[in-house]
Amino acid sequence: MEEMIRAEHLSYEYVRTWEEESGSRQERIQALDDLSLSIEKGSFVAVLGHNGSGKSTFAKEINALLKPTGGVLYVRGMDTAQDELVWDIRQSAGMVFQNPDNQIVATIVEEDVAFGPENLGIPPEEIRRRVDAALETVGMTAFRYDTPSKLSGGQKQRVAIAGVLAMKPECIVLDEPTAMLDPMGRKDVIDTVKRLNREQGITIVLITHYMEETVDADRLIVIDDGKMVMDGTPREVFRQVEKVKSFGLDVPPATFLAWKLRKMGLSLPEDILTKEELVGALCRLKSNI
Amino acid sequence: MSIEVKHLTHIYNPDTNMAKKALDDISVQFHDGEFIGLIGHTGSGKSTFIQHLNALLKPTSGEILLNGKNIFDPNTHLKEIRQRVGLVFQYPEHQLFEMTVYRDVAYGPTNLGLTIEEIDSRVREALAVVGLGEDMYEKSPFELSGGQKRRVAIAGILAMQPEVMILDEPTAGLDPRGRDEILGAISQMHQKLGILVILVSHSMEDVARLADRIVVFHQGKVAYCGTPREVFSHARQLEEIGLAAPAVSYILADLRDRGFDLPGDLYTMDEGAQAIYEALQEKGL
Repeated sequence: MEEMIRAEHLSYEYVRTWEEESGSRQERIQALDDLSLSIEKGSFVAVLGHNGSGKSTFAKEINALLKPTGGVLYVRGMDTAQDELVWDIRQSAGMVFQNPDNQIVATIVEEDVAFGPENLGIPPEEIRRRVDAALETVGMTAFRYDTPSKLSGGQKQRVAIAGVLAMKPECIVLDEPTAMLDPMGRKDVIDTVKRLNREQGITIVLITHYMEETVDADRLIVIDDGKMVMDGTPREVFRQVEKVKSFGLDVPPATFLAWKLRKMGLSLPEDILTKEELVGALCRLKSNI
Repeated sequence: MSIEVKHLTHIYNPDTNMAKKALDDISVQFHDGEFIGLIGHTGSGKSTFIQHLNALLKPTSGEILLNGKNIFDPNTHLKEIRQRVGLVFQYPEHQLFEMTVYRDVAYGPTNLGLTIEEIDSRVREALAVVGLGEDMYEKSPFELSGGQKRRVAIAGILAMQPEVMILDEPTAGLDPRGRDEILGAISQMHQKLGILVILVSHSMEDVARLADRIVVFHQGKVAYCGTPREVFSHARQLEEIGLAAPAVSYILADLRDRGFDLPGDLYTMDEGAQAIYEALQEKGL
C-alpha cells in the first residue's frame, strides 16, 4: 500500500495559560499522546472523538499548522517538522475548517476560489479551468460573481471547499466541515467529499460529529484523550455500541435502533449500519415467525 | 409573554438591484409558556425572523406584538424589549469575556444597576437552571468544555430574567454528549421558568423531543406549523424543501411499506423500538 500519512509515536503537548483572580494559571495539556497510525493513499478515513479528544490537533498536525512535540508525522513521506517542506505539505494536504467565515478572503466568490492557485503562480487559463471545475463540483457555479458575505453559512462552506479543490491536493483534511450546515447542505458537502474520493482518488480525512457521515468510510478511527482507542471499518466500530457511547459518541440511527431492539429481546445482527439493513433484517425476522 | 407576528415582511437592500425578500408576509402566534421549535434550511429566513423578535432588525412592513404592544412603535423602548426577549446567538461562547463564570453571568444584571444581593441571587439562580453548581463559580470560562461554556452564555441571558428565550442553534458544533447536555439544560429551563422558549435548529431529532409546536420556514414563509406529529406527517414534503424528519420515521415508513403494522406518527427512537417490538410480538414471536 502507498502511504499518504504516517504518524510514529506522534505527541503534541502544550501549556495552556489563563488569568484568574489569584493570578495567571497554567495547565499542561497532552492533546496527542503517542499516536501511531498510517493512512493509505486514496482511502476515505473518518475520525471521531468528542470535543477536546485531540482529533482537531491531529488535523492541524497533518497540515503542518502544528508541529509534533514528540514523534514524527509524515505526509507523503515529508516530515512535517521540517520548515522548508511546509508549503509542499500544505499543497498536498489541503484543509477545510469548521467555520467558513474564517477561511474566505476575497470579495467575489470566484476570486476567493482562485486565491490559492494564484499564489502558486499558475497560468491564468489553468486557474480559470480549476476555478470553474471546483465551483461546479461543489454546486456553486451560479453564485460565482456573488459576494461571499451575502451567502449563507452552507454556501460559504462550499466555496471554502472549492478553494481547497483548486489547489489540486492529493489529500483533503476536513475538520467538522458540516457542523454549521443544515441537512441538505450537509448532504451536499458529504456527497461532494465522497465523490472526490471515488472519482479523483483524493485521500479524505473527515473529522465529524455526525456518525451517519462516516458510514461509507473505508476506515473509522476513534480518538479519545489524545490516543487512538478504536480503529476498524465503520461496521466493526459501530457494532460496539456501548464502547462507542463510553467515549461520548453516538452510533448511526439504524445501529442504535437495532441495538435497542436486541436489548428488548429480538435477535438481530450486531453489525447493522443502515436503514436498508435494519429493514431487511426485521423483514426476515417477521417472515420466519 | 405571548408574541403575535402580523404580516411581517423583510426585504434586504430594498430599491436596489440586490433586493432580496428574506421574509414574506409571515403571520404566526406564540403563546406564553410554549416550547417552539423553529426549523428551516440555511437561507430560509429563520435567522432574519428571530432578529426581528427582539427588534435587532426592523421589518419592511408588518408588526410584532409583545403582549399586544407593537415593538416597532416609535415610542417603544428598544432596550426594554431586548431585556424581555432574550436572544442567545449561535456560538454564544465567543461572547464570554470575564475572568470567572460568576462575573460573566453577573455582567448583564450589574449593568441594570441592581443591588449586589439581587445580582447575586440572579446569578445563582441562572447558573442553577443550566445545571452549573457553585464549584464552577470561580472557574475561568476558558477552562470549561464546549457544552459548559455554552451553558454559561445561556445563564448570562437568563440572569436578565427575560420573558422569552430565543436560542439560535444552541447545539451547533457540539459533540453528542455536549448536545445532550445543552438540550437537557434548555428543557430544564423551560420546565422551571415556564417562559416561552423558541429553539432554532436544523436537527429534527432535537426539536421532536422538546417542542410543543414546530414552525417550518421555507423561502421566507411559514411552510408548516403544528405539533411535531402534524409536521412530521409531511415527511416527504419536508425532504423536498431540504429538511428531514427524524431518522426513525424513515425506518418505520419503510417497514410499513413492507407490511409491518405500525402507526404513522412516531418520531422518537423509544417509540419506534416499542412499536416494532409490539408489531412482531403480535405475530407471536
